[in-house]
Amino acid sequence: MKKELHDYLDGRTGSDDLSAHMRGDAAAWDALISDVRAAGADGAPVGIESRVMSEIRARSRQTGWKRVLNWSLSPRPVLVRPLLGFTALAALVVVAVTPMAVGVASRDARLPEPDQAASALVGEEVVYVQFVLDAPDARSVHIAGDFSGWEPTVAMSDVNRDGRWSGRVRLPPGLHKYMFVIDGETWITDPNAVLYAVNRNGERNAAIAITGGAGTGSLAP
Amino acid sequence: MLVRRYKDVLYRYAERMTGRVDEAEDLVQRSLIKGFNNLSRCREPERFGGWLYRIVVNLCKDQLKGRHRLEVPLESVAERSSKRAGPDRDFDRSALREELYQALQELSPDRREAFVLKHVEGWSYEEMAEVLQVSVSALKMRVMRAREHMQELLEHYR
Repeated sequence: MKKELHDYLDGRTGSDDLSAHMRGDAAAWDALISDVRAAGADGAPVGIESRVMSEIRARSRQTGWKRVLNWSLSPRPVLVRPLLGFTALAALVVVAVTPMAVGVASRDARLPEPDQAASALVGEEVVYVQFVLDAPDARSVHIAGDFSGWEPTVAMSDVNRDGRWSGRVRLPPGLHKYMFVIDGETWITDPNAVLYAVNRNGERNAAIAITGGAGTGSLAP
Repeated sequence: MLVRRYKDVLYRYAERMTGRVDEAEDLVQRSLIKGFNNLSRCREPERFGGWLYRIVVNLCKDQLKGRHRLEVPLESVAERSSKRAGPDRDFDRSALREELYQALQELSPDRREAFVLKHVEGWSYEEMAEVLQVSVSALKMRVMRAREHMQELLEHYR
């Protein structure tokens, strides 16, 4: 590639400054760069904002000791000089073989149960979402989704016997994928879903974005 | 508000750097949370965007270092281009974009980073130097090398 072309692509010169035969190259480069821009995503996926906000809110609610515990339980890369590492290991061995030290340490360092630590990361906000499906010939309809491990465990009911099935699910903020299961065997995508997501097998799932924040409602289909 | 403002630009970068939507989403989430937790360390609030960008840049670098040896080499640009060469020069636009995307993934992380910031995000070399902490001349060289690599695909645009 000639410097003349690099200068054009860097914005230091305009197309009028290029020689005639170089203008073709410049136009081709403009088209290529335009396609590079179009080749990837234009923005973040739906739901990322609510997931980040719910994580931030959960963290900000943590008390001091919970933050320390959370920090200590989170995996993170640590750089250690081998010599210092061996020294620290040797010191640990010395402490471990001293019964008195072990006794004191085990009494003072009692950590809460793992589920207590996990609960600190779970946001309290949830939204009740009402799912509706018109299926006049169905004998039963269930909802399955990533929130139920894709098991059709949420039964919908046809209260008015008019073929309109509805069911309510309690969901935390985030993007959730789901399907309806008719008569225990036929999986169908919600025809009225606001969003759709294609899984690795090329199947189209319905999706719903639940946004966080006090007073916000759901984006129920 | 800040999350809404920066999520898209961070995601565009992370997705093109990693070539994977799941990794990009995870990196953007981690960057935004890390940015929030370390807001007090941002000494120049008027340069918050660049500071936040540096976080995602560094997380992407760590991510790519971690998987470097596990990657299977992609088919080279030249190999793919030679398959396209022939009497039928028509090509599908989306397939070509996929090729471009793959070609981008073949670049070394440093060159890919420079090319993405220059040509996808439209940054100046000075802006790139400030965020990446690399000299302008080094960045120009990286972008030049990246263009030379991508040039194999230029024939489709003539």
